[in-house]
Amino acid sequence: MFNRCLALILVLCAPFGLLHAELPSPELSHELNRLKTPVAAPDFSLEDLDGEQQALNDYRGKVIMLNFWATWCPPCRREIPSMESIYQDLADKGFVVLGINEFETPDHVFAYTGQLSVFPNFPILFDLDSKVAELYGVKGLPTTLLINKQGQVVYRAAGGRDFDHPEVRAIVSELLAEEDGGN
Amino acid sequence: MKRIYRYPARILPALLLSLVGYIPHSMAAVETFTDEASGLLSWKAQHPGFSLQFIQLLPDYIRAIYSARGLSPKVVELMAGYCMFGTIIKNESGEPLAYRVADWRYITADGQAHPVKTKTQWLAEWEDMGVAFRWSLLPDDQQFAPGDWSQGFTTLPLARDTVFKLKYQWTQQGEIHEGIFEELRCAPAEAPDV
Repeated sequence: MFNRCLALILVLCAPFGLLHAELPSPELSHELNRLKTPVAAPDFSLEDLDGEQQALNDYRGKVIMLNFWATWCPPCRREIPSMESIYQDLADKGFVVLGINEFETPDHVFAYTGQLSVFPNFPILFDLDSKVAELYGVKGLPTTLLINKQGQVVYRAAGGRDFDHPEVRAIVSELLAEEDGGN
Repeated sequence: MKRIYRYPARILPALLLSLVGYIPHSMAAVETFTDEASGLLSWKAQHPGFSLQFIQLLPDYIRAIYSARGLSPKVVELMAGYCMFGTIIKNESGEPLAYRVADWRYITADGQAHPVKTKTQWLAEWEDMGVAFRWSLLPDDQQFAPGDWSQGFTTLPLARDTVFKLKYQWTQQGEIHEGIFEELRCAPAEAPDV
């Protein structure tokens, strides 16, 4: 019986391994690019994993990392642990990560996050029709934006990043140290 | 991962021409890789500050990706019928860099150059077929800041195992650069024996 189960598992897993083995994993970079002219971050409202609406404006006055991602996107998966790490360390200083999932259902994402070695505790919001991605001019996944306390997009990164890198932490800490301009 | 290095014979002429301000094909080291687990091929062109990779994708992989996104069987089979590559573009320079898929051409065995189908063209077709999904395909054009990179699928209407060339372009520091993959090959119908 055990052998039969093992054989079944191997048969089911082998094609999956074959199909995915060909995709290489480029190293994650860590550069975030400061926008020459900061732009106001448009507000939006999306459902989270609990079905509750969350608006960007709910987080005004905080430093916000907006990360556009999907479960099928390899670099998106690889940057989750570093996002969780910086979120855990700086959340009590006014830093928030919002994972904007593209075109997937809460059930699918919930099942997926349960399989990760590092569970993301930051809010995951569902951009089911990709309207928010469109609003922010996102062309590819992952794309990450940093929004300052004044509600302006000040940094942008296309492609996977190691957000736990000291240079990224220094940028976020610098933004956290800024005054919020009375907003 | 096995590597085969191919340094094109045009490196020296390109270097000489670059001295007079014209670069027909920027110098590139093209490596070919064979994935030991799947037997599938990939190619990487490494230029100064810019790299481009093409990775063979099996039709079943394409089916799995699009089926899982809820696309209809008709659309899934349409996509699986294309010669498809995973494509990774990286800005490894300290300067902004840009590319446009519309500038790229694939060259078939008869010597004819054909434009590469863009994401915008696909999205227009998908919209007509009632598909709202807009991800997975390589973005048409992007401006990359230092450290930026992107990946997505590139589609060509070619049969399994077809060998072809691919000319690509990008802009770096205001200068248009070109490169060529001399021998790309569409993925087979099934994973090769390894």
